[in-house]
Amino acid sequence: MPKKKSRRGGAEGALSITSMMDMMTIILVFLLKSYQTENVSVAASDDLQIPISTAEKSPKLAVNVVVSRKDIVVDGEFVIDLEQTVDDNGAQTIEVPDDEKRGQLIAKLYDLMLAKAETAKDLGAKAGEDFEFKGEVLLQVDKRMPFSVVREVMFTAGQAQFGNFRFVVIKGSG
Amino acid sequence: MSKGKRNAEAEELDLVPIMNLVTILIPFLLMASSFVTLAAIDSTLPAIGPPAEPSDEEPEETLNLSIAITDEGYTIMGSDAVLKSEGPDGEKGPTLPCKRSGCDTPDSYDTKGLTEMLTEIKDRWDDEENVILVPESHISYETLILTMDAAREDPSKTETGDDGQSRKKLLFPNVVIAGGAQ
Repeated sequence: MPKKKSRRGGAEGALSITSMMDMMTIILVFLLKSYQTENVSVAASDDLQIPISTAEKSPKLAVNVVVSRKDIVVDGEFVIDLEQTVDDNGAQTIEVPDDEKRGQLIAKLYDLMLAKAETAKDLGAKAGEDFEFKGEVLLQVDKRMPFSVVREVMFTAGQAQFGNFRFVVIKGSG
Repeated sequence: MSKGKRNAEAEELDLVPIMNLVTILIPFLLMASSFVTLAAIDSTLPAIGPPAEPSDEEPEETLNLSIAITDEGYTIMGSDAVLKSEGPDGEKGPTLPCKRSGCDTPDSYDTKGLTEMLTEIKDRWDDEENVILVPESHISYETLILTMDAAREDPSKTETGDDGQSRKKLLFPNVVIAGGAQ
């Protein structure tokens, strides 16, 4: 560096960009390598922690049901709030509020999913035989969710003709 | 550097436009890159329908492997038998009790033991690929996923897949989740 300074006359120091360029190039290559588009997006938050699994299959696009600790959202559309209760032993559990249920069926979720199934079937019929309705649904569920809620969501989806479930998980060594 | 020094008239490469470009590209790629990769586990609903017509043919022997997940551990069941516990509770307890009593956390379940036991079962029932999970209501979703992982493949053994590449030994990849105990 002193060589450069002397060439320019000493007082006037030029910013050396070369080392910064080196760094930027490395970052650029790294980011380009990790760049990938996924057709399924997860908005992870405190209320939605996706479990880690050793599964390898990549998720396909389907009706997206998100069950976080707070609420149930289908394709970005809010459906119902979930109720957090504390039982006698002080353990926290999450439940679907009783007034939202008909037996095991979550009424609002059922209505919405049935409408989605009908739309998908209509579109499929117009598009031809290749677009048969398979009833696929992507389930993004918080890992602390009790199975009772998962079961009710699965049951409701099943009643609304969505029988193929894909549980979205984070790929990891487990 | 030494060349430039010798030939003082040589212009230095103007890196500023490249820098501009790179500085714009980096935030864009940072936003678009995902550092967690997602995967999916397929599962279907148990088929609901009228019971099959009784036929005169000898019914094919099936395994009907089921794993009940309770707050005591795993109980493994076949079509007509329940695997007995080797634990301290004797025959009454679950097949694989939790590593810590109470099963308060998902990792207290004995997933390794489950994989070992299922590997043994798989050796005898080579064609079977289905497993039915029967979790209790309050079992957490994470436990369910961990159990599915343990039942799907045995990471300690490898086999050659259909495409000729070696992969982890598949155990029971088709998971069906049953309604479970209320």
